[in-house]
Amino acid sequence: MAEQNDDDILASISSAVAEGDRRYERIADFAWPKGVQIAVNFTADFDAMLLRRLLNEPPMQLAKGEFGGRVGIWRLIELFDSQQVKATIFTPGRICELYPRAVRAAAASGHEIADHMWEHRVPDDPVLEADHLRRATAALERTGGRRPVGTRSWHRHDALKREGYIYNSHGSADHLPHYEYDKDGRNGLLNLPFHYAIDDAMFYSFAWLGSGNATQRITDTDRVMDLWWQAFQQQYAQGGYLNICMHPFVSGRALRIAALEKLIQRMKAFPGVWFATCEDVARHCLQAFPARRAAA
Amino acid sequence: MPWKDRYTISDEVGLADADVAWPEGRRCCVTLTVSLGSASGPQGLTAADMRTPEAYFAANGGLEQLLRVFDKHHLRATFAVPGVLAPVYHGRLRSLAAAGHEIAALGFRHEDVSTLGREEEKGRLLRTTALIAEATGTNPVGWFALPRQSDPFAGGTVSSHTVDLLIDAGYAYLGNGLADDIPHWWVSDFAARRALLTLPYYYHFDDQFFLLFPSKGTGLEHADSLYRNWRAEFAAQYRRGRQFHMVLHPHHSGWAHRAQLLDSFLQDMQAHPGLWNPTGGDLARYWSRTYPPAQYLKLEPSIWQDHEGSLS
Repeated sequence: MAEQNDDDILASISSAVAEGDRRYERIADFAWPKGVQIAVNFTADFDAMLLRRLLNEPPMQLAKGEFGGRVGIWRLIELFDSQQVKATIFTPGRICELYPRAVRAAAASGHEIADHMWEHRVPDDPVLEADHLRRATAALERTGGRRPVGTRSWHRHDALKREGYIYNSHGSADHLPHYEYDKDGRNGLLNLPFHYAIDDAMFYSFAWLGSGNATQRITDTDRVMDLWWQAFQQQYAQGGYLNICMHPFVSGRALRIAALEKLIQRMKAFPGVWFATCEDVARHCLQAFPARRAAA
Repeated sequence: MPWKDRYTISDEVGLADADVAWPEGRRCCVTLTVSLGSASGPQGLTAADMRTPEAYFAANGGLEQLLRVFDKHHLRATFAVPGVLAPVYHGRLRSLAAAGHEIAALGFRHEDVSTLGREEEKGRLLRTTALIAEATGTNPVGWFALPRQSDPFAGGTVSSHTVDLLIDAGYAYLGNGLADDIPHWWVSDFAARRALLTLPYYYHFDDQFFLLFPSKGTGLEHADSLYRNWRAEFAAQYRRGRQFHMVLHPHHSGWAHRAQLLDSFLQDMQAHPGLWNPTGGDLARYWSRTYPPAQYLKLEPSIWQDHEGSLS
């Protein structure tokens, strides 16, 4: 890259900030349905060993992911059902060929089956990307019995909108649900924010996101539940939103299911906690606070 | 599970809590593995590794400390030893076995076998078996591929041949698998239904990832986190009636405050009625009889399709 002079630096930074303003649209005077003080979305990224395989990781890493399909997903379904919590399972299309029974069981319990890419990646080529998205959508519809309307992915918005998706759940541009547009300010899509500090893998999964051996600081459930409880309290006080991201191969471990059960019970002791699916939250936002920009 | 080679090693659904039964109506199984190998790198133990003060402590003061704690709580453990240490540890191994502990293999030199050719791996496996048999008087029935602290992943390493070779060599179990938290069958050949019993392992209950880990830096001693993990997992598994398994290294858990935490954890654990504390071999014998693969391994043919532009 050519060296920039100070004027170029000034211009490029101003333009990046302007891009952010085009890209994100916060919802003014946000409110939940009457009686709701906070919406809590329990979301599970059901990639099992698929991402491990995609990254060409060794056999024991695959087995670590396999725990999610063999044991973890079933425990999460059981936990949510026993607590009357409706969750959202972000599921790569390929998982329908690996764990069809688990996907069907989650759908039968009333949990939302949403997209998490065909094989946990978005190809650069737009034709292949569209093909992957169509495959994933069709697989989830076939197995889950209902066409998915939500995604947690890096798919291009125009592709998502063409397939009928109404929301994404990634990134943390705001505490509250907000709209996110393409880089050029078109194709707005509702975003239900996700934050890495409220993600089980960050705390428990060794070598997460390719992190090196010397950077590992894996920790215990007591510490993580304290952090997440504080996040809940802070958002509860201001009528906010909490999206808790789990992975069945991580949170499906017995000690974490027990900790999550306690966390849910603690939340339930507060009035006005809406344990909704992401789709429920999205439909409320879209209906009560449609995107302001015409191009959306 | 619709079986998919190179994705899965087992069938789709593990045993439900209600279907897990232990001998004599016991409520929960607790197993301890002690690693007697601490290779610094993938090549396995070196003479330099064994010249460190930690290695000396592991074989002497640390081991004695662990054994005092085990004796106090009447617990039996499985000691995983690299073949190369069997001759020099011969006296220790014999007295561990005499005290009711099990001696299992931890590779030839606790090495990463994933880059070895099949014949080379087989040669090392057979030599390891012979070295341990000579030192203890009996063939080991368990094989461990435990992770090293410097590994990029915390699950241990095997090659695509390891399970097959272990079955051929007559081993009853592989000691560390991550696909379940109770024993499960690792399938090496779908068509032939060839499988090896695999005992559960999870790095959150392995002391080496919390006690001065990574090995250099600031604030790396998380004995408190390890202790909380042990307590939380044991409580949850006891409630479910499944299994609690931990891995200890004498130079880690045998040292001062850590030995104290281990002692208090085991004290609380032993206050729970209905525990079964087998060695790996006892557990493998029980499981193979009670949950034989012919009946409990439910493999379905793959429904996977190859698509252009997709990973196969």
